[in-house]
Parts: sequence; C-alpha cells; structure tokens
Amino acid sequence: MFKNYLKTAWRSIVRNKAFSLINITGLSIGIAASMLLFIVVQYELSYDTFQPDYDRIHRVVTQDKFDKDITYNSGIPVAALEALRAEFPNIQFGALRSIYGSQVTVPSAGNETGNKFIQETGIFFLEPQLFNVFQYNWLAGGPTSLNDPNNVVLDEKTAGKYFGSWQQAMGKTITLDNAIPLKVNGILKNVPANSDLPLEVLISYKTLKQHGPSYNHNENWNSTSSNYNIFALLPPQAKTASINNALLRFSNKQYESRGRNSIKTHFLQPLGMVHFDRRFESFGDHVTSKTTLVTLSLIGLFIILMACVNFINLSTALSVNRSREVGIRKVLGSNRGQLFTQIMSETAVIVGISVIVALGIGYLSLPYIKHIASIQEPLSLFTPKILGMIAGIGIGVTLLAGLYPSFVMSKFNPINALKNKMVSASVRGVSLRRSLVIMQFTISQVLIIATAVAVSQMNYISKADLGFNKESVLVLSGNGDSTFRSKQTAFKQQLMQAPGVQSVSFTSDVPSSGNVWATNFAYNNQPDEKFQVTLKFADVDYIKTFGLQLLAGRNLTESDTTKEAILNETLLKKLGIKNANDVIGKTIRLGQGQSYPIVGVLKDFKTNSLREEIKPLMISTRRSFYSLTAIKLRTHQLAQTQAAVQKIWDRFYPEYAYTASYFDEDIAEFYQQEEQLSLLYKIFAGLAIFISCLGLYGLVSFMAVQKTKEVGIRKVLGASVSSLLQLFSKEFTVLIIISFFIAGPVAWYLMHSWLKNFVYRAPLSGWFFISAIVGSILIAWITVGYKAIRAALANPVKALRSE
Amino acid sequence: MIKIRDLEKIYRTEEVETVALNKISIDVKEGEFVAIMGPSGCGKSTLLNILGLLDDPDTGSFLFNNIEVANFNERKRAELRKHNIGFVFQSFNLIDELTVFENVELPLIYTGVKSVDRKKRVEEVLDKMQIMHRRNHYPQQLSGGQQQRVAVARAVVNNPKLILADEPTGNLDSSNGNEVMTLLTDLNEQGTTIIMVTHSEHDARYSHRIIRMLDGQTVLENIMV
Repeated sequence: MFKNYLKTAWRSIVRNKAFSLINITGLSIGIAASMLLFIVVQYELSYDTFQPDYDRIHRVVTQDKFDKDITYNSGIPVAALEALRAEFPNIQFGALRSIYGSQVTVPSAGNETGNKFIQETGIFFLEPQLFNVFQYNWLAGGPTSLNDPNNVVLDEKTAGKYFGSWQQAMGKTITLDNAIPLKVNGILKNVPANSDLPLEVLISYKTLKQHGPSYNHNENWNSTSSNYNIFALLPPQAKTASINNALLRFSNKQYESRGRNSIKTHFLQPLGMVHFDRRFESFGDHVTSKTTLVTLSLIGLFIILMACVNFINLSTALSVNRSREVGIRKVLGSNRGQLFTQIMSETAVIVGISVIVALGIGYLSLPYIKHIASIQEPLSLFTPKILGMIAGIGIGVTLLAGLYPSFVMSKFNPINALKNKMVSASVRGVSLRRSLVIMQFTISQVLIIATAVAVSQMNYISKADLGFNKESVLVLSGNGDSTFRSKQTAFKQQLMQAPGVQSVSFTSDVPSSGNVWATNFAYNNQPDEKFQVTLKFADVDYIKTFGLQLLAGRNLTESDTTKEAILNETLLKKLGIKNANDVIGKTIRLGQGQSYPIVGVLKDFKTNSLREEIKPLMISTRRSFYSLTAIKLRTHQLAQTQAAVQKIWDRFYPEYAYTASYFDEDIAEFYQQEEQLSLLYKIFAGLAIFISCLGLYGLVSFMAVQKTKEVGIRKVLGASVSSLLQLFSKEFTVLIIISFFIAGPVAWYLMHSWLKNFVYRAPLSGWFFISAIVGSILIAWITVGYKAIRAALANPVKALRSE
Repeated sequence: MIKIRDLEKIYRTEEVETVALNKISIDVKEGEFVAIMGPSGCGKSTLLNILGLLDDPDTGSFLFNNIEVANFNERKRAELRKHNIGFVFQSFNLIDELTVFENVELPLIYTGVKSVDRKKRVEEVLDKMQIMHRRNHYPQQLSGGQQQRVAVARAVVNNPKLILADEPTGNLDSSNGNEVMTLLTDLNEQGTTIIMVTHSEHDARYSHRIIRMLDGQTVLENIMV
C-alpha cells in the first residue's frame, strides 16, 4: 500500500511540475534557512557545555551600585580570592588573569631576535587550582606544570605555531614581552572554539606575582579589573541562592570597613550565562544576548512557516483538481484514514526531496553563514545531532504542511469528487488561504521594516559625528616597558620626518574604545563624588592627532608624569558646572592620591560605543602608561607611508613585532554583532519575500486556470486588459494592506525595543513603514502581473472552448 | 440480493428542496442484470450511488444480502463496498498517475491482498479483458474503448458480487460500446449481478429487466424476454 502511495506521490509531483517546483523551492529554502539559523543558535548555546561540571561552575562577579547607576564587572579584586577561600572552604576557586596583545618571542636558529608572535587573545596568567574547576585534556604535563614561576603551558595549536609540533615545544624557553623567560612545561589539547576561555598560552600565576606592575596587576581591595576572573566549582546540590546570600554578607563585611563611595557586592554568575549576559565581558571573542538568539530562532521558524503556508495554500487549491482521484479511491474502497495517510505520504515525499535540496544549499552556504556568525569551530551538517535536528525539521514540516490538506481532501464527498464538483469555494479553504497569505505578508513586512531600521541605524553609526577624527589614523600596539619608552622620543622624531605623517601621539588609549579604566575621584577638595571618572593618559599631541576640540583653557604641557588634567563636558555636567571656564584652575584628586590642577575642558566626544552614554573623562600625561602610538597620516600615498612607518618601527624596535590597525576599522568592530545581525536580517528578509512571492505566484497561476472561463466571458463582454489585471491583483492588494496593519505595529514595537540598545539612535522614520507597504504591493503586482497578463491576453474563444 | 423499501433522498439548499428519490422500492435478485432508465434528473444516479454505498438515504430501508445498510457509517460502507461492489463509470475514472496494471491493482491493495496474489489476479483479469499488452501504459495513452475495458477489469478484479455501471458506453462509439456490453453480459453469465444506468435503449436490451424512473419514482418495469 505504502509503495503505491509513494508511486502516486512521485507521479503527481512530476505531473504538476510547476507547482511541485514552487513547493520544493520554497520548502528547500525555508528548511535550509531555518537549519542554518538553528545551527548558529545551537552553536551559541553550546558554549562551554563540554565542561563535565558545567552546571556547577560559576564566575564570581561584581556589582557596583552608585547613587544613580549600577555598573557590572566580570572581575573581582585580586585580594578577594584568599578571603573567599577562607570564607567558603567547600567551594573550589580558581583564578586567571588575561593579558592582550602581548608579544611572545620564540628562539629561532636563523633569526637573531627570534620569531615574534603577537598574542592578541588567549594568553593568561593562571592558577593551577583553576584545573580543579575546569577539566581539560593534557598531551603533556598537568595542572602541576603551572606550580612554579616562569613556567608556561601551551595548547597544541600554539605549540605547533611556535615550534612546528607540540613534541618539539616541550622544555623550550620562550620570552614574554621581551622580558620574562618562560619554560614550556606542559601541553594542553586544543580547547574547543565554543568556549569563553580560549586557553592558548598559560603562564603560571606566580610569574605574574613577580612582574605585577608591568601588567597593572594590583593585589589590593580597591582595584577591580575585568581581566581578572575567579571561577568557582560549587559542591553537588549546593544552592546558588544561599551562596549568593553568603556572598552578600561577605561583600558587606569586606567593603564596609574599607570606606566606599558605592555599594560593591559580589555574586555568582552561572557558567551557562557567561556567554549570554551582555552586562559582563568574557574572555571569548563575543557575548551574545539571548534576545538575539531568540530573534534568530523566530526568524528561522517564520521562514519555515512561510514555506509551509505556500504548501498548504497550493495543496488545498490544487486539491480541487485532484478531487476525482480522491473520489475514485473512495469508490474502490479506500477509507478516510488511508486517504489521509496517502496525502501525508505525498507531503512527506515533497518534504523529503526538499530536505535533500536543503542539505545541498546548507552545505554550500555553511561557510558563508559561519563567516557572518563568526563561528571558528569547523562545523558539519553531517553529525548525528544536526542530522537528527534536520530529521526533526522534516517531520515537523511534513505535519505542519500536510495535516490540513490531508484532512480536507480525505473528507471529500466521493460523489461530488467523482463528478469534479469540488470547486474552489467548496474546499472551504478560501478564508484559510487568505489568512495564510496575510500571515506571510505580515512576516515579510515585519522583516522588511526591521531590515530598513537596522540598516539605517548602522549607517547612522558609521556616519555619526563621534567628535574626533577617526580617518587615516594608524594605531601601533606596543609594550609600555622601559625599553620601549626610552626610545619613544627619538622614534617620534623619525616618524615626523616621514613625508606622509601629519602628527604622532603616544597614549594609553584611543579616544573611543571598549577599555574601561575608571576610579573614584574628588573635585576641588570636596568629598569623593558618587560616580567614577574614566582615565586616559596621552601626550600633548593627542588633541591634534585625533582632532579633539578644546572648549576652555589650554592643552596639557609635556611631562613624563601626571601633572595636569583636562576634563570633558560630560564630567562637568555631572558635577553640575555649566561654564567650562569655571573649572580652570580648580583641582581633581584621583582615588586617595594627589590632586592635579585642571587646565582645560574638551568638547564631548564619544568615549565608547554608541550603545553607551559618553563617560565622564579625564586626560593627563603619564609616559609609563603609553602603550599605543597613534599616527595621523596624510590621505595621499597611505600605503607608502604605512610601509615607511613599519620600516622605522623595525629599526627602533627590532625585538617588537609590528602590529598596526586603522582606527576607523577598530571602531567598526564595536558594531560587529549589529552588522552581523543587520546582514542576517537582510538575507532572511529577502528570503521571506521570495518565499511569499513564490506562494503568491503559485496561487495566481492556479487562479488563472480557475478563472479561464470567467476571463473569457468578461473579454467577450468587452473587458479591457487592465480591468482583468485588476480582477487578479485586487484581492492580493487588499490582503497586503491588511497585513500591513498587523505588521506595522509589531515592527514598530520590535525595532523600538532593539534601538533601545543604542544611546545614540537613528529616528524610527515613517518612511520605513511606507516603503514596506509600497514595496510589498509592488513586488506582489510584479509577481501576479506576469500570470495575470497572460490570462488576460489569451484568446477568449479558446478559453470558452476549454470549458 | 438487494431489497430497498420506501427509500427517500432529498437534497436541500437554502432556498430549494429537491426530492431525488421519492419512497422508491426495488428488489434485485442475485445474478440479475437490471437496467435503470429515465430522463435526466429522474434520480437514476442517486439511486445508483445509494446502491453503491457511496451515499446514504434520508429514510427507508436498504437490505444488502439481508443486512440493513441504510444507516451504516462511512467506514462500514467502505468496508462492505470494497469486498462486494465493483463500479464502471461513463467517464472511466481511471487514475491518470497510475498505469493500467496499477489502476486494476488498486482495489486489491485496499482489500489487503498480498503482492504476489495481486500480480497473478491482475494479470488474469487483464488477459481476460484483452488489454494485457497495455499493462504499462497510462490512461491517457489508451483509446476510450481501451480505457473502459481497464475500468471493467478494475471493477471485476476483486470478484465482486455486484457491478454498478453508470452509463458505461456513454463516452464510446458504437463498436467499443458493444464490446463493453458484451463484457458485462459475459460477467453476468458467470454469476455477477449487474445494475446499469443507461439512456440507451440498445444497451438496455442486454439486461434481464428495465426499471424506468420519473421524478424519483419507478414508473414501469419491463421484463426482457
């Protein structure tokens, strides 16, 4: 019996080639799109789940409650570690500190200065106790390899990169930042890419204790850096809530006695949230909000739903043509259940073909999607998990698409069916088909509006006045060590002689970055303010290099130490000072340290990404913190100038690797996730519109056949081609307008919420909505037009004869 | 074999009520060949549909082999139909997506006959209907006469006790029509009961008895000698 079903199904597909093609194309695209989106979502959800104690691992994080706002920090004061161990003896704690952009020098036979590698990420000072919390596989050595100072553990990949193979790396010595010799004492098997702890170069924590100042490592209770994280493995069955209560008591005990300008508390963040809580940073390359994942899953679901809608619409419409077959089968003894199974089998065949096509599409587009979603891990569609998921999608789609047509067709009255008396209206699907078309166009229009808003916001960001010059500024990363600093003046002089160089500034940070270096402070000998000030240290050419604008006072004077301060407008506003000149000559005290005279006020510029408010800022000189060299280049002959800069760098700092980036590109990276999301919106909105049109085309094709006689009679009676076009397009136009009234408010609500992520946002213009409705109607008319014109231009005599 | 009493079937729309069968009573004995005639709209097809268990009457009694089937639900009707009744239609009603062999095989599939037995039985019937050489063709590749022979083959493949034929020669030329009527006569001679609706006096002469209908009632019965 089943064989017969399949046979009939296959032949029916072949017979109704056009409709089958529409169904298979729509379903394939829908399945492929949702499959890829679900793979991305599933990948994001898989972060660190390979850890055997995933559910019991937590990070101890910090919340600082000020008068008006709350700040969160993934770090915790270093001094808290031993206090936590004493307070919670049943919990295993392990700490690590990340460093960024450090240089690793590997001895090389043919190279006097050795091979230099810049480790942008993946490099940590790490306690051996961290391996009590996290489990990793070792190729050589073990947690004890990190017991002593000047020991390093490499992962297999990095060991290979440095020495050719991990076996050759063992026992060799590398140098960190041209200063610290490290012996390779263990090799870790590569950590999977879906981890927020990308462990590559692990240096014993005792090494950090010996070189603390070089890495701004402060072991007191006052300093909290997001680079220093403590992880905890809770005992089985431990209650997180009760430990959090104990941590609250612990925080109060520790900070009350130390005097504070905020209420600082620590609490547990489950490992399962490290990848998803955007209040905190992670050591991984990105933190994804669960809202984004839900949005992507919904888009996937909607796309597949739209493809199913096409299937349902076309199948119920086509069922009119198949009624005779249903009648015959009933007469020959088929019962309703058998017919239901038959039609479901046909759906399954079409879905099966679509799944195979979708796998092909998925296979070809997976590398592209991986690139958009920044997935590093090699992904394959052909893993049991993903194949299981695809099978699930296949079954789900078969049921979703097949149930209604099967139900409708198996219910046909055999006598009417045999006489082909089942007309479109009697299939009872007309109102359903209209509702489904409305649903499709609602989804399409929501996606069109969302895409337009996302693109406009991205354009707004890229064109927004950031308050500084970001074009043609080359930023060189270096180490702020004494060797580096000792040659800075001469290095700058040489750079200034290069023809394409306009100005050079040494600094701790560029004007806008993700870095946060903040401290409590007091203005003009008053008590500490209830908010923190962000610090940047730079030489006197900083203002010129980045095109900043002084509102009052003057520039800093050159000094190797901190002597004077320049503030920004936001800081003045927060202090309640209206006139910038009022602060000139007053003082500012940082932490419990010295007070510095305020010599200037800068016009506000964006100190961080446009998601956040401008921070209150102080800029001052301090050579020991200058690790970056910012070079403003003249716009002509950029490549030659850049080559000249590298040449000068190599001459001055042969022992340092040359790493340069353009400042505008660094800024663009702030919005990488939004750009990705915007790109995904564009792709999937396009697909949604395509699938809707495919369905519409199918329905109109069917309508054209059904209306052959009506069109013929109307033409004989004198109807014009345009009035016939109206006959076809009127209904769909009305449906699209109805869709818009649903889509408009939904899209407005969704995008209004999304824009809230940005402090600086593009207006939610009415044009987005107008373009969505006008665009949808135009696209629908073009889709309908071809078929409608063909029907309208057909010879009426032929049309009537065919009846 | 068939005994119907006071059978009534009324079709209602919002405004119109049409009496298709008006308290009609008919008996058909096993092995009989009965022709039903009458003008269009007299209720012939409605009667045939009820006899074929495709439709149910509003009131009245319908005994099929002494079992009251008037109130059977769809599942029971389908069960009884597939084991006992074969149909031949004016427009052949073959499934376009299936070959000749597969069309004839279909009733056997629904009655759960094993594949090997099905093949044997279908080949026997196709042979008998002299259409074996067309077994792998699709209906559109056959002439009208050939299509109706396939339809007859499909109707008899399950060895039904009753064959209902609804104007079986209506779409055929006289030569092919005669061929089909001969086939039906042969089947009847082998013991199958046949009830045939027809407009053709010529075809009706092949039967044992002609029931003439008008306005949903029997008005005359001719016994053929």
